Amino acid sequence: MDSQLSQYLPVLMLAAVAVAATAGMMILSMMLGKLGRRSKAKDTAYECGMIPVGNPTPRLSMRFYLVAMLFILFDIEVIFLYPWAVVYRRFLEHPAMANPILFSMVSFLGVLLVGYLYALKKRAFEWRN
Amino acid sequence: MTGVGYSDLLAALAPETALVLAAVAVLFVDMGLMRSAPLRQRFLTACAVAGLGCLVTLGILASSGAHLRFLDGVLVVDSLTQWVKVFLVVLTLFTAGISAQAEFTEHVGEYFALVLLATVGMMFLVSTEEILMIFVSLELTSLSLYVLAALDKRTRHASEAALKYFLFGSVAAAFTLFGLSLVYGLSGATNLTGIAAGLRAHRSDPLLAVAVVMVIMGFGFKVAVVPFHLWAPDAYEGAPVPAAALIASGSKVASFFVLAKIAVLGFAGVEGSGAWGQLRAGWLPVLAVLAVGSMVLGNLTAIAQGHLRRLLAYSAIAHAGYVLLGLMAMGYPSQRSAALAAVLYYVATYGLTTVGAFGVASVIERVLGNGRIDALAGLSRRSPLLALCLMVFLLSLAGIPPLAGFFGKFGLFTAAMGADPAGLGLLWLVGIAIAMSTVSLYYYLRVLKQAYVVAGDEEASRIVVPWTDRLVLIAAAVGVFLLGALPELLLGPLARAIAGGNGF
Repeated sequence: MDSQLSQYLPVLMLAAVAVAATAGMMILSMMLGKLGRRSKAKDTAYECGMIPVGNPTPRLSMRFYLVAMLFILFDIEVIFLYPWAVVYRRFLEHPAMANPILFSMVSFLGVLLVGYLYALKKRAFEWRN
Repeated sequence: MTGVGYSDLLAALAPETALVLAAVAVLFVDMGLMRSAPLRQRFLTACAVAGLGCLVTLGILASSGAHLRFLDGVLVVDSLTQWVKVFLVVLTLFTAGISAQAEFTEHVGEYFALVLLATVGMMFLVSTEEILMIFVSLELTSLSLYVLAALDKRTRHASEAALKYFLFGSVAAAFTLFGLSLVYGLSGATNLTGIAAGLRAHRSDPLLAVAVVMVIMGFGFKVAVVPFHLWAPDAYEGAPVPAAALIASGSKVASFFVLAKIAVLGFAGVEGSGAWGQLRAGWLPVLAVLAVGSMVLGNLTAIAQGHLRRLLAYSAIAHAGYVLLGLMAMGYPSQRSAALAAVLYYVATYGLTTVGAFGVASVIERVLGNGRIDALAGLSRRSPLLALCLMVFLLSLAGIPPLAGFFGKFGLFTAAMGADPAGLGLLWLVGIAIAMSTVSLYYYLRVLKQAYVVAGDEEASRIVVPWTDRLVLIAAAVGVFLLGALPELLLGPLARAIAGGNGF
């Protein structure tokens, strides 16, 4: 049990270092930050010497989110299709496996097709309103 | 895939398939045909489609005698899982029923589709003995429930509740996954019986303790036990009423069943002991601590609540504590079948009662505009039916015979009493449970006093209960009464199903 535990000593050390470094940085900046003179220029965000312009958190259109979601949906489809296509012929050699290998993918694609129709009906593919 | 063809698999999964098809149907009926119809009509139509899907699924469940054990437990279909699925679908049907008159969202089709998909997730959850499938179906359920909880976008309160539920839930899922990965790392197996065999060599490994605690933490969140309960009051109060009802009933039935499976089958041999004075490391003492915390904190905090749904949330926490007693009794092989029957009877009747109570809350909130307990004054005059149903549900929750809650508690407590062959080891827990259910009577009666004794506004008009709500409430109340008066109706088939199963 002791040997089991001692395996994790490096993890414990890493955790201690991580906590100490983070806490040290926060405490030091809190203590040192109060010293010295403050001015408006010092309190602005550091942008390589440029004067910061605009809002740091601009509002983005919800459509980007939709596009990202749709991308994931069809990306996953391809990820599953590739290995399936690779082993498909080998499965066909066993008569008992011929139906399962085909229909499991057909039902998966069927579910995706429903999702696609739903997105189409919801006008998720139209960039303009 | 030896010996199991695709058609066998499809036959065993016919109920789930039917529900998925119903979810797709409800989505497209609402979007294709009802797009320009008024909201009320859309809710009614979608509810009819979803309800029809549930009824078809129930028919399939009742008529099929499918027995299947696929790939070492990836999919387990036997009469016990069929029974639990029946509970789940009935609870979903009732949930759909109390949403028929709702108006909290414009996404009607999505709402009902998500309710059905959450149920599909729960059904897969109860019919698997493989940790990967457990996690995937748990996620299907959780993701659907997160969205359901967030569908009411009219108030900030609802958004806050949904965000809390989501954040707590995702952290809990991370814990479950980490715990399960440790379990896999120790045992080298992903199916529960293989895990139990693999863990035999690692009983004193500290990693096992971490793994057990993490897995129980994740499920502790799902069933809302102290100290993982903080989301429950907000989610129950802020989420749309039917969504909260599903979170409080169906999700709990499935989670308790799968938690029992993981603990009893997967962690067999690392039970430890929860007996008074002889606590030994294992999952029993962990559950004992959670049970005591839930029973005491849930019941005592419920006394201070002024909102009906918040009160139900704290009472749900307390009830989760009682069920944990039954789970602990299952850790002792001599009592396993009796305790399992008691737990299933309890969660099934509790789910029924909760859906009913939330149904009353939904009607009241729609009419009165808020769900505060003070607002219930004069309810017995304004709507005798609502007041009567509320009385049945709350007294059943308090455990008054002849209602189902009494026999549920009776079964759980006797199972826990007889569990320890070396003596009355779990008596201390039963003692706390009985003392705390006495406390619970106080706050349930306080609500009933408001509804029956306190005089309300004399001018207030009668409350008209729509026929869909009336149907659900009466069915639930009759069910609670019948199952309480004739517990054999449910306990008999459950005992037979358990005896015919694989020892679980």
